Amino acid sequence: MRIEIKAAILAVVISGLVLELTFGIAPFLGSLQGAGPHREVQAKTGDTKPLASPGGQAEQGRSLFERNCAHCHGGDARGDEGPTLFNLALSDARIARRIKEGIKGEMPKFGSKLNDMDIAALIAYLRTLND
Amino acid sequence: MNNSLWIKMHGGMTHFPIALVMVSIAFDLGGQFVLENGEKTRRAGLRAAGFYTLVLGALSSFGAVASGIIISHGEIWGRGNLARHHTFLWPAFGLVIALAVWRLVVGNRASSGAFKIYLTASVITGALMSAAGYWGGELLLNG
Repeated sequence: MRIEIKAAILAVVISGLVLELTFGIAPFLGSLQGAGPHREVQAKTGDTKPLASPGGQAEQGRSLFERNCAHCHGGDARGDEGPTLFNLALSDARIARRIKEGIKGEMPKFGSKLNDMDIAALIAYLRTLND
Repeated sequence: MNNSLWIKMHGGMTHFPIALVMVSIAFDLGGQFVLENGEKTRRAGLRAAGFYTLVLGALSSFGAVASGIIISHGEIWGRGNLARHHTFLWPAFGLVIALAVWRLVVGNRASSGAFKIYLTASVITGALMSAAGYWGGELLLNG
């Protein structure tokens, strides 16, 4: 068999194995996140009571926040390019509208990406961000 | 480590494989169109540059993929722009690894016909990487 064909077979096998391994270790890599904002708040306040039960709505909201919002609002939600999200004085409906529709020239729309359940979870998480 | 730092790391790391693979394609295409007569040294030089940039691109893609998985909390598909990003990313990642392995094994022994097939696959890989990069940017900027 020609070297090119042998190499192609080997390349496909190794590529497949690399993808398989990548998908296999994805859950582990996904767990490598550092302390989220709620943990930092707990550390700051000395409060040992969980702000949200694991798997709860606020916990889901934190995960959504880190994937969608942390880039601009900072990993600790205290602001980066976007403003801090601590002590929000807006109503749930207004926060939901801002997430869905964005703010022209300032914040992108998330209405096509996040459904109502996601937004509710995000709001539940944002409500835990109090100094 | 803070998630926003991982996001920034992914943004930085992801440009290495994109740039290196694109440059590799450019070198190989350049080498392909250099005239044979009296230009063999230049062609060999361009092919060697194409080889090393491809291998470096493939190696750097591991860092980009790992940091991406970390910021998506282990999500390998998702929905919306994340799903679009992954639709192009996974085939591109697989192809980059396959192309690098193929060239590592074949070295300079590739026939003209086989190398043309390789070049076609590398151009497709470049297009897939560009699309993955585009949707990755959309993901960051537009949610």
